[in-house]
Amino acid sequence: MHPISRRGLLGAATLLAPALSGAARAQTDIGRASAFIQTTGQQLVAAINDQSNNLAARRQKVAAVLRHAVDVEGVGRFIIGRWWRNASAQEQQEYIRLFDETLVRNLSARFGEYQGVRFSLGRTQQRTEDDVLVNTVIERPNSPPFSLDWRVGDINGQPKIVDVIAEGTSLRLTQRSEYSSVIQRNNGQVGALLQAMRGQIQQLAAREQGR
Amino acid sequence: MRQPMPFPMPPAMGRRLAAPLLVLALLAGCATRPPASDPEALAEYQQTNDPGEPANRQLYAVHQGIDKYLLRPVAVGYRAVVPEPIRIGVRNVLGNLRTPVILANDMLQGEPRRAGDTLGRFVINTTLGIGGIFDVAGKHFGVPGHTEDYGQTLAVWGVGEGPYIFVPVIGPSNPRDLVGFGLGILADPLTWFGQGVVVDALTYSRTGATVVDTREALIAPLDDLERSSIDSYATLRSVYRQRRAAEIRNDPTRAAPSAAGGTGFGVGTGEAPQR
Repeated sequence: MHPISRRGLLGAATLLAPALSGAARAQTDIGRASAFIQTTGQQLVAAINDQSNNLAARRQKVAAVLRHAVDVEGVGRFIIGRWWRNASAQEQQEYIRLFDETLVRNLSARFGEYQGVRFSLGRTQQRTEDDVLVNTVIERPNSPPFSLDWRVGDINGQPKIVDVIAEGTSLRLTQRSEYSSVIQRNNGQVGALLQAMRGQIQQLAAREQGR
Repeated sequence: MRQPMPFPMPPAMGRRLAAPLLVLALLAGCATRPPASDPEALAEYQQTNDPGEPANRQLYAVHQGIDKYLLRPVAVGYRAVVPEPIRIGVRNVLGNLRTPVILANDMLQGEPRRAGDTLGRFVINTTLGIGGIFDVAGKHFGVPGHTEDYGQTLAVWGVGEGPYIFVPVIGPSNPRDLVGFGLGILADPLTWFGQGVVVDALTYSRTGATVVDTREALIAPLDDLERSSIDSYATLRSVYRQRRAAEIRNDPTRAAPSAAGGTGFGVGTGEAPQR
């Protein structure tokens, strides 16, 4: 996406904002968050549908967009939750690195398959004081459209994606439950989670090679 | 990211399976409740709501075996052999047959508009849609299907879910949703309609078709879940409980699942297959 059109989008969102009801502060937040999701979504769709690239290159582009848009470290910290304190400094560092790779590989593998995807903003609403939930509708050829909610938080003054919610299921809540279960079943050892994550990354990588 | 599971099963099969499964569950025992001195662990234990986790994990392993060698291969074969338009027709017919139960629950929850939608869909699809084969109401009248079941009605009436339970073949559930599942069978007019060999054969065909159709719709979502999770039991549990909560509050952004669901994932209403 070119900087000019991004400014254009932000401008449009700012103009639209007063038309939406609600308090003044909430308006800016909602407008900014939906403009951010619109921009990010268009970048993703452009990367996915770019016919001049092969699958590997498309996935790389998707990964780059995601790394820029998602608050990877914050989401990772949320997901590991109370077990963060059980981890040594070295384990914490490795966890964030592995989490980044798992998240990006998982999402870009999934989005990479969405050839011909189109997306549009649905109804937008503010759910909490800190975050905005931006609703989008994803359309793929030969599939019924489905709704995807993006939770956008303010991270150091920048809007960032902190969660994705599909059909009432929050990605970060689900993954938090999954990771915690792995650590618990291994007597609170964060190392066991890291090992499982490494194994999973290997599998994902092997699968990408196989395509 | 469409997910999960469950299948209704014929009552006879349920009875035959129940005794050994119960023994297995008792042998496996319960999860250990964390001490009060560890409030975070205790909060998580309560949040997870799975005191019977060791037993549930064993039942999940049993299910995974059945799924690997029977349910999934049959679903994959069905997809390979039966052309897509026919599969959609089958799904729509099954969805249409479920409308009496959906209608009853719309009414029991005091949702006259949704009840009207359900009734209108049933009339239009049964007539113009030729016995429910075509979803005319959804495609041409703009009345999409939605799901309801007795488990949801009990929830709306204030009945708590109770502890998480995994039942092989049926899938993730809890006492409230299992009761609702049973009520759904008992309260279905088709359960009581006529008797004899032909009726029995039709009932079993419907159950069999529902199982195959549901599993077919779940091929990609469950493959995805297996691939992307390092503890698929825990992931499924979390997904089930979140989705169920969204279904109960009739989350407007959530479209109805197209295929059938047993206790937890709501009942399907037909429409296009997912890939």
